[in-house]
Amino acid sequence: MNLFAQAVPPPPSFWNAPHGSNELWLRIGIAFSLGLGLIVAFLFLPTKARKPIVATATFLAGGFWVLYYLWPTPEARGPRDIPEGFFEGVGFWISDAVPIVAGFANIINAFIIGLGIYSLIRVNIHRIKRGQKDWMFSALLIASLITMVVFGYWDWNMKKNDPTVVENWTFVQLTSDLLFDGMFQVMESAMFSIIAFFILSAAYRAFRIRSIEATILLAAALVVMLSLMGALVHWWDGQVSTMAGWESDHFANNFRLSEMANWISANLRTPGIRAIEFGVGLGALAMGLRLWLSLERGGINR
Amino acid sequence: MQYYDTGKFGIIFVLLMVAFILLNIKRAKGEKGLFIRRIPGLNAIDEAIGRATEMGKPVLMVPGIGDETQIGVTAQALTIFAYITRTAIRFGTPIRLCCANATTYALAQEIIRDVYQTEGMMDRMEVESVQFISDRQFAFAAGVSGLIHRERTAATFFLGAFYAESLIFAETANSIGAIQVAGSTQNTQTPFFIAACDYVLIADEFYAASAYLSREPVLVGSLVGQDWSKLLIMALIFVGFLANSVQRTQEIDEKRTADGRWIADEAHKRKASETFLHTLFNPAAKVRGVKVEKTFASLDAYVQERKQELGAQADPVPGGEDEIREQKGQWFRWEVVEDELTRPIEDFVVIAPDGSVLVTQEWRGRRQRPETEMPPAGEGGEAV
Repeated sequence: MNLFAQAVPPPPSFWNAPHGSNELWLRIGIAFSLGLGLIVAFLFLPTKARKPIVATATFLAGGFWVLYYLWPTPEARGPRDIPEGFFEGVGFWISDAVPIVAGFANIINAFIIGLGIYSLIRVNIHRIKRGQKDWMFSALLIASLITMVVFGYWDWNMKKNDPTVVENWTFVQLTSDLLFDGMFQVMESAMFSIIAFFILSAAYRAFRIRSIEATILLAAALVVMLSLMGALVHWWDGQVSTMAGWESDHFANNFRLSEMANWISANLRTPGIRAIEFGVGLGALAMGLRLWLSLERGGINR
Repeated sequence: MQYYDTGKFGIIFVLLMVAFILLNIKRAKGEKGLFIRRIPGLNAIDEAIGRATEMGKPVLMVPGIGDETQIGVTAQALTIFAYITRTAIRFGTPIRLCCANATTYALAQEIIRDVYQTEGMMDRMEVESVQFISDRQFAFAAGVSGLIHRERTAATFFLGAFYAESLIFAETANSIGAIQVAGSTQNTQTPFFIAACDYVLIADEFYAASAYLSREPVLVGSLVGQDWSKLLIMALIFVGFLANSVQRTQEIDEKRTADGRWIADEAHKRKASETFLHTLFNPAAKVRGVKVEKTFASLDAYVQERKQELGAQADPVPGGEDEIREQKGQWFRWEVVEDELTRPIEDFVVIAPDGSVLVTQEWRGRRQRPETEMPPAGEGGEAV
């Protein structure tokens, strides 16, 4: 198996070298040694010594994206353009590095997904061993996990080796389809549909008149909900128009259902949401800054 | 660099807010007792843990289903969960932290293990304390709902990035009578939490939580910096409201072009796009190349004289038609050789009714790699 096979030949950049060249192998060797060295260093270093390394890596990774945002982007870059001057050179380097640096996260995630599966298996086997309440669900989960992986991989492998399988399904494709589309997707849809009933019960509790706030909420919700009922809007707005003598600038027109709902939406809901978004945005900015500069240590180091 | 009318004001604004936050972190390290208002949702945390302790039931924590791009939100949730875990284990109350993302799981496990270690209670950390359920939204919802029902959790904390599964969690926990504290950065989910939960952290209360709970100078200072930034935004909104109210009533006889110039027009009320604040945040489109003014007697004269001037080997290639500064014309592309590399140069040529030629704009491209070499990577790799 050619582990370095790629659909599109990698273009030359700081991050790459011509396909199959000695330079490429040298770079792979250096990167591998560096990575291995870092892992070994982490294993043997005391906890206190690890922190500056983590802080430096975080700062460099965050710094790259800050630079990407703030550094002037080269304009109208053509596929064969050579950068002119230092600023353009750095701009080109940053643009070239974006897909590579973004790929780092994928590599780390690939390692971490294994951790997730390990946790899932450990928790459920522990439950089965101890015979805890509903342990059979854990057994079912482990069995489902194995079945899905086996049939998923089997199906993928068959389709890869024999494209005619896509047209002429075998037992493997039928089972794989039954497991994924026939069971998994359907069960997910069932979970999603439960929300409709939960909305009803939550709305009932929220709209009960317990306080001034709940009463205002009820009134606003009632107007907005009624404004979405076509027949009722037609009747109500007709009554208001008659009352206003069909004059378009009559004060009573403000009480048309659609007008009231629009007013609530534009003057109460939108400013409220914008205010929340400002707060959330600022919070995210502060949090990002603290993480980037390794100032955020509340959960980990205390 | 020109900042007005180029859209760079947004960057300056962000840098100003960053400066506010860093300045206040520095201030907070020197000062003691910066005030943070009471947040009921956070006061309820101890009450909820106390109830779980009395009932001998576990405390459930869910940091949402945010992926790696929302790691800031998840990290904030985990910081709060570290506080909850510390309080819970001091009372001997078991915890359950359910993750929908493997990265979150790895991070959560480290944080929670660290809390157990610092409290000297590693023996109380169970296999189920931190667990990965599923990275599929509704499989995760089903898994957490099952856990709530099986373990009859007495207190539940839903803090992080939640989507459609929020109400499933909240209503399931409500059905077993658990005290619920929730907070989401997703506007669309906050109403569901308000309807179904006992206490809700709205908007940046979620981010204020760690400062409120820990009173660490870095976090408190950061919170004050956020408040300064909010004051700045509020001031800007007020200035914008005043400036626009005045400017929108003005009658003007000019209009703003896409490239940011003001040209004569029929008298009209100033449009929103013509107000000062709009131009401050919305960059004008840049005209390709630099402005020049070269006249030639005819198109042939232009080709001959320009060819000599540039030292080009071949005649120009006519390109696309365009309109620049209210003048219609056509781009002509030249190729010149510099240091054995080609450089494209394009002229915007306007032909007058009398046949004379006016070049109003000149664009100089970058030197080109020979075609035998492969193009560079990156998102800038597309053709001009």
